[in-house]
Amino acid sequence: MTMINRRTLLRGMAASAGAAIGSSLLPEFARAATVTRGAPKRVIFFLQNQGFDPATAIPAGLAESCSLSGVTLPEPVNPLEPIKDMLHIVNGLHGQHTSPSHSAYFGALGGYRGGIGIPARGATIDHVISEELPDTILPHLCIGMDSLENMQSRPTLATLSATGPGQPMFMHSNPNDLYELLFGGLSTGDVKRRYEARSKVYNKIEKLAGVAGRGLPEGDRERYGSYVDGFRDINGLRDRLAGVTDHLKNFAPAYDEGYTNPEFETDWHDRLLDIGLASLKSGITNTLTIGSGRGEIFGAWKGLGVVEQGHNLGHMPQPENDIWIKIRQYNCRMLVKMVRELESMPEGAGSMMDNTVIVYTSNNADKQHTSGTNWPFILIGNGGSPFKTGQFTQMEDKRPINAMYSTLLHAAGAPQDRFNMDEKTAATHDTKVGPIEELLA
Amino acid sequence: MSKPTAIFSAIGLIAGSLATAGAEEPIRSFKSFAEPFLVEYCFDCHDASTEKGGVSLEELTDISPDNAVLWKSVWEQVALGEMPPRDKKNQPEKMDRFWLSQWITGGLEQALADEGGFYTHLHPSKANHLDHDLLFGEIEGEFKPASTPARIWRIHPQEHLVRLNELIDKEPEYDPENPGLRARGDFIPWNTLGEVRVYFGLDRITGWVGGSAAYTAAITGFPPILTTANDHGLRNYAMQYSVNGAEATQISQNAEDILVFMAHGPKGEPYQFVDDPKKVKRPAEYDGLDIRGTIQSLVYSPDPERPLTPVYELLKEPGVTDERIQAAVDFLFEALTFRPPTKKEAKTYVRMVQEAIADLGEEEGAILGLSSIFLDREALFRTELVEYGTPDEHDRVMLQDWELALAVNGAFSYLPPNSELRQAVLDGRMKTREDVEREVARIIEDPSIRKPRVLQFFREYFDYDRAGRICKDTAALKNAAGGNDTRRYTEAMYAATQSTDRLIELILEEDRDVLSELLTTDRVVYDRRNDTLYYSTHENLKNPKPKPHPDKRNKKIEPTPEEKGHTILPDGERVKVRVPALRYYSGNSDRVLTTAPKAERMGILTHPAWLVSHTDAMDNHAIHRGKWVRERLLGGAVPDVPITVDAQLPDEPGTTLRHRMRVTAEEYCWSCHDKMDPLGLPFEMYNHIGLYRTTEYGEPVDTSGEIIDSGDPSIDGPVTDALDLIRKLAESERVEQVFVRHAFRYWMGRNETLNDALILQEAWRAYRDSGGSMNALITSLVTSDAFLYRQVKPKRKDIASE
Repeated sequence: MTMINRRTLLRGMAASAGAAIGSSLLPEFARAATVTRGAPKRVIFFLQNQGFDPATAIPAGLAESCSLSGVTLPEPVNPLEPIKDMLHIVNGLHGQHTSPSHSAYFGALGGYRGGIGIPARGATIDHVISEELPDTILPHLCIGMDSLENMQSRPTLATLSATGPGQPMFMHSNPNDLYELLFGGLSTGDVKRRYEARSKVYNKIEKLAGVAGRGLPEGDRERYGSYVDGFRDINGLRDRLAGVTDHLKNFAPAYDEGYTNPEFETDWHDRLLDIGLASLKSGITNTLTIGSGRGEIFGAWKGLGVVEQGHNLGHMPQPENDIWIKIRQYNCRMLVKMVRELESMPEGAGSMMDNTVIVYTSNNADKQHTSGTNWPFILIGNGGSPFKTGQFTQMEDKRPINAMYSTLLHAAGAPQDRFNMDEKTAATHDTKVGPIEELLA
Repeated sequence: MSKPTAIFSAIGLIAGSLATAGAEEPIRSFKSFAEPFLVEYCFDCHDASTEKGGVSLEELTDISPDNAVLWKSVWEQVALGEMPPRDKKNQPEKMDRFWLSQWITGGLEQALADEGGFYTHLHPSKANHLDHDLLFGEIEGEFKPASTPARIWRIHPQEHLVRLNELIDKEPEYDPENPGLRARGDFIPWNTLGEVRVYFGLDRITGWVGGSAAYTAAITGFPPILTTANDHGLRNYAMQYSVNGAEATQISQNAEDILVFMAHGPKGEPYQFVDDPKKVKRPAEYDGLDIRGTIQSLVYSPDPERPLTPVYELLKEPGVTDERIQAAVDFLFEALTFRPPTKKEAKTYVRMVQEAIADLGEEEGAILGLSSIFLDREALFRTELVEYGTPDEHDRVMLQDWELALAVNGAFSYLPPNSELRQAVLDGRMKTREDVEREVARIIEDPSIRKPRVLQFFREYFDYDRAGRICKDTAALKNAAGGNDTRRYTEAMYAATQSTDRLIELILEEDRDVLSELLTTDRVVYDRRNDTLYYSTHENLKNPKPKPHPDKRNKKIEPTPEEKGHTILPDGERVKVRVPALRYYSGNSDRVLTTAPKAERMGILTHPAWLVSHTDAMDNHAIHRGKWVRERLLGGAVPDVPITVDAQLPDEPGTTLRHRMRVTAEEYCWSCHDKMDPLGLPFEMYNHIGLYRTTEYGEPVDTSGEIIDSGDPSIDGPVTDALDLIRKLAESERVEQVFVRHAFRYWMGRNETLNDALILQEAWRAYRDSGGSMNALITSLVTSDAFLYRQVKPKRKDIASE
């Protein structure tokens, strides 16, 4: 394809804008780019683990596509009532090829076969779409919510997102670490001096590590490379954030007790969401992936009064289940919070939410032990107007979750006939080509 | 194996970097080799017209990303002898199968190089794809001698944690009277909740305010930072891990906390440091305040028990000098990398410290500057790069000096080389195989040199350390007689792992018929207070109600284990197990070494730790158990589940697992499941929390099974139950050889190749001839060429050391 895509165009703009105003890309740039209408400027993926049972989101008796107006949402998702006109509930996509029982892991956002310990086979949709959106300082932020012990003992984990084959992206789960990483440069005086001295040391470590990698055997060089790249990423990010501290000040959440002394895991879940939202509102990122349960079969929500935790949660049927009503409603309150906060941010002629789409689903289709024949989604927001909203769609064609991801790319101005699916696989798994028409306005 | 040259050239293909110089290697292409193989053996059933099982191989061409999935499947089927089906007369020779496997995996490596690479065949779970009979059969022809590619190997997360712990805590020395108790150099054990942590100043805390929960909340610590796969099987190959940016960030943050502690001790106000914790006088500002769980609630001994190091000397008074910086750098570098820094390395880090001091002042600058050493390559990876030395005619260079010492040391220990080994390097006595033999013998003979790496092998080989991690469904736990208290159950499972750890160590101390003893012993390490339920018979359990307390109206007396129908094992020798130093949640270190009823239990495969490790939330996992026996004892393997298979058992509450597993007996499934199910179902004599049972849903429990196509015809055939199965397996020579293969993989950090055949055979002989000595086996492996030699690029000339 020889056409100039939006990305190339925006890259060019970015370069000249950067040259004009200084060495770093200012977040304002991302906002300026929103003058173009008709495509999302930011995308949020929210994956709750243990499956998304359609009966918890689709009113009983609703079997055919229809408008949501006049329809009452089931109890687990009723916090979404006030934003019902922004929803598009999609039922009947499938992910049979992703091996989703327990979790498809990278396959959930990759649309390929996943599983515990199986490396990513390709880039996942959240990463691919982040590449298509306007450049930002931190192109893609992933946060993961889990039990307190798990978040403390494994503050980073990669199970859902990948930048390419065998290239996992790590979710941040300790809000203290993430806060310092993103907002550490905001401080002044001694703290700032420290932050800068540390940046200097990190830069030296990166150099030393680079030198130490030179003589390595080929296979090791690649593995070791990810170690060196880790520093490069940290240092690059620190440099870029340092350039926009004044701007960031307006968005950094208050650093309160919930960070340092959480009573429940949900205190950290809420703080992680706050940081994610601040990153979106400040424009330092425009792609956010939230893994509630971190793509695995564990997770805890004691803060909601849910005593059961971990794997047990997946073994119980979700419909009419008090525990799952609590968890799903908690998800929904988070979704509404994101909508409201993004609505409060002016952008172009409207608000940030006008140019946002939120993709809510699970990393293992409809339930824990599933073969993936149904994989429900809720889209929220019209993403700059390409998406239909206020709608329930029951898929009539056999279409895989990959088609949902092609649709997102289509909306982002980077159309692909298929996402991560070759023609041979498509022959058995997809009856159509291109985006899901029912979703597009 | 009639063509030695064929073997020779096969060797070249085994691993790219091992390619032989001068080997006459025929170019094997799709046209000349793979296609004729497919035509000869596969097309009968899988050409365009037959397409059995929906698979046609007729359109397969040279390996490319597009057909990689199909080629991978062909590789597994052919390597494992699954295809052509066993009833077909026309079968390829084993060497031909081997050849095709090599051609496919080599081709996949190349074809997928830009698409995430192909590493599946290097993964421990695929090691058995190399036919056992080729390795242990008669070896004909010339072999290129074994070696391992030059490499870096990320250190084990536990080893990393021990290194950091050494900087901040003084651990008890080995106590010969209580050899099971935790001592310096042992791994950091998990607590009863399964958490692993090291704590700042734990050895110095003498008092606190509040209960033990408050104490736990008040002290500061950190968990392992590096990660490994949370999975069954060997988990720490050299090719598996790097250190990612997120881990590096955490290391750097922890480094500063550690350095501050090393310099100044625990954070606290002066009143907290007193001789007698009862005499602590808190300032008036704390009157009436609840300080439970805060760091102010702790009381410390004024004696600085932590290791006092040059880092303490550096910052104990203002006015740092270059000499003190140098001493701190030298000390810290060796503590973290296990070898002294070279002059250049020392100079680099000294300069970094000096510059940071210039930016931030003495205190903060020194801390920040020194923290960089925690991220040195060699603080995170063990290097085996043989950067100097003379390659032999096969481009192999023997490890020497520090690399050799650290490899040998790392085969046993998480601590730095002790003074003898260190001195041997400094004196130039770590260069030859004899040097290695001397040091290995010395390490093995000294029980005070703790050997957590050896125990870790048994954890990874047997997979008995996962029981606490299996999260049980509440109703399923109750149905299995596990009660309502999931926390208590989980604690019992972590404790069961500690018991099995200790039993293994006791058998290793005897060092006779180690494998057979582990498989068949009637001994168990047993916690008389908490284990009675788990060694009981399900049908004998009773459910008496608590009795009213004679004196206290609100209290009740819980029924005794006897009243509950528990099986009480006989009293025995007192032994200790390893528990964390943290008092709360540390569990009970007291156990007895006793015996279990011979008709009910035999060896660690029948102990709760192993049994429960192979269950899921709801029930036994007969498929996992069978897979374990197939892979770890019989040296077989099962191909990955085909993408078209919905690998689910029907959800039919109230029916037996065996009944639900009937679906795997369908023809399409059975070709793989016959390798697993009949080996796993005999363990149905235990329920899913490890209790012995004779009935299930009111019917006598069916414990029958069968050993099918094990590779050792003498043990093939039906078995009546798990004990019958284990007895047969324990007598098999093949089982012993497969155990040796696993030990090889663990200590070499890679899968074996045909080049390693001689080494494996020798290691097995060493084990057998010594009457089943694990020490003899390890010695044989660690002094073998595969352990000692590294492959370098062809034609490297001699390079002298600095």
